[in-house]
Amino acid sequence: MNARPPTTETASAVELNPTSAATGTAPAASTAAIYDLGYKRYVGHRVAASTRWRVIMRNQLSTAWKGWWRLKFPLGTALMISLVAGAVMYVSSNKLFNALASKGMGLKFSDGIVPFSMTFFARAGFIFSLTVGASVIASDAQSGGFTFYFARPVRPLDYVAGKFAGLFLATAMIMMAGPLFLACERLGLAETTSELIDLLPVLGKAALAGFAGALLYAALPLGFSALANKRRTAVALWAGAYLIAGSICSGIGLLTNTPLGALDPPTAITSLTFHLFDVEWKGRSAMVPMPYAIGAIALYVAIGLGLAWWRVNNSRSTGVGGAP
Amino acid sequence: MALEPIIVVDDVQRHFGKIKALQGVTVAISGKIIGLLGPNGAGKSTLLKCLLGLVPFEGRATVLGMSSATDGAAIRDRVGYMPEQDLLLPNMSAVELCAYAAELSGLPRTEAVQRAHAALYYAGLEEKRYQPVDTYSTGQKQRVKLAQALVHDPEILFLDEPTNGLDPKARAEMLELIAEMPARRGCAIVLSTHLLGDVERVCDNAVIMHRGAVKFSGTVSELRQTRGGDSEYNVSVRDSASDFAAALTQAGLANEVTSPVALRVTVDPALGPRQLFALAAAAGAQLRSVEVQRDTVEAAFLRIIGAANDDAAQANHDSNQAKVGVA
Repeated sequence: MNARPPTTETASAVELNPTSAATGTAPAASTAAIYDLGYKRYVGHRVAASTRWRVIMRNQLSTAWKGWWRLKFPLGTALMISLVAGAVMYVSSNKLFNALASKGMGLKFSDGIVPFSMTFFARAGFIFSLTVGASVIASDAQSGGFTFYFARPVRPLDYVAGKFAGLFLATAMIMMAGPLFLACERLGLAETTSELIDLLPVLGKAALAGFAGALLYAALPLGFSALANKRRTAVALWAGAYLIAGSICSGIGLLTNTPLGALDPPTAITSLTFHLFDVEWKGRSAMVPMPYAIGAIALYVAIGLGLAWWRVNNSRSTGVGGAP
Repeated sequence: MALEPIIVVDDVQRHFGKIKALQGVTVAISGKIIGLLGPNGAGKSTLLKCLLGLVPFEGRATVLGMSSATDGAAIRDRVGYMPEQDLLLPNMSAVELCAYAAELSGLPRTEAVQRAHAALYYAGLEEKRYQPVDTYSTGQKQRVKLAQALVHDPEILFLDEPTNGLDPKARAEMLELIAEMPARRGCAIVLSTHLLGDVERVCDNAVIMHRGAVKFSGTVSELRQTRGGDSEYNVSVRDSASDFAAALTQAGLANEVTSPVALRVTVDPALGPRQLFALAAAAGAQLRSVEVQRDTVEAAFLRIIGAANDDAAQANHDSNQAKVGVA
């Protein structure tokens, strides 16, 4: 606990403008006099310094929630994806659908909806990274936020942890809640108890895939936001890297039949999800082996957090005063 | 009674590569409102960072008895900082910003919100406190910066150029707030500024820095007397200032006639005004008033900085001469 020794000063006991009297200046009419009646020095406890990252996390979440285009739009997109995928899952598991489809086809199709939906949730996650994630640190650098934070008992670790945790929670709402909802729906569609028990791992797999996606789509944009001093530049860098560099890696991986596609963030996350659900994807996009997908996600998370740490640690003192 | 020093700096050195930003700074700072003066590059900002524990340094520095080298976080808990540049986070209202600032300084959420309202009221932003800070005028932004600095009840406030960019009315109001703060909020203030008029108006103590070293530390009235004792006097006479000036010159005292009935005289500090009275009696001049000539803070500041520059030039010259001699 970071307690401070109590003091007993109260404003009501002091005379007006004694300093000007002490310094020989003419006492001016006090405009502040009516505002601080009853002021007392705070003598209560202070929250431990090690928990300040939670304050930053809460602020990150509440800031993201403001306005329609920051968190609400990608969250709404994720909700639409969940509802549409849920409806498709319901229809595909319907007996009529099964009767129309070939034997067992309907059930297999509905089982594949949870992992397949991750490709869409990744897009919603990317939208959120554009509206919020990729501009977090650049925005603070632009507005003097580093001074605001580091003139207080906030460590670079608190800052990075708080910002990352806030972004992670917001991204998890987009990338984890939807797959979990679909997994629950799939469990609800089970016709027998034994089928329900057999399907239970789907919950864990959906949670794991969503967790990995949220980690990746929170950490990597955060790292990119540390690369520029202006918000728009950071967002442009991230968008360019994600859309252009990622697609190039994915394309080369597909053409050369190498795991280079793992360097494309959406490929890495969908590959991991498909492997978790034992789905064999034979589409046009690259699919990389699970170890490469996990390795790429871990590498990107480490790079993202490392970049954020490096930038924040170096910028810690630049805002206070004018000199470096 | 002498006040207990709130900041003690002992032989603090800070280097940036080959550049010596602080060269053995030693000073004990006490008082209610302390002006930290110095030209650009004097080392004020670096000293501030060292005191807040944001950059490593050699030597010893304590703030409120806590070591800046090891207790930086604890110091920043008890110090408020209002920077010169913007620090207002976008997409936040003034209340949200100040409450956030208070929470980051360890106040519980409910208390932080209450204190945020109180601090903004105190800073005179009661009407505007729910508006986004991005929409504020320069004067309002300065007030928000002040409010966020004092929202967590600091014991010392570091104010960096708080009147920058303000019109005369807003500047006067800001200085009034600053002047009242030690009594109303029970905190000491370190005012870093290049506006010497601000220091003269609100500060009781001053520290002058130049080229990484402290050139003066003391009260503002001491600063204005740094000419070397009370040796200069403004004298007014009943009849002719020039007649009395001639008598003074004859006695070997430097003087300058400033009006037909007034002149400025430099006397022997050891003898003081008695020398004047004796010479006036001998010359038959009737003195109307004798006042000690005091510097303005600006004049004292310029003289101290000028003397430091002269010393540096002399040292440089001596060094060059020595090199020539060796060669």
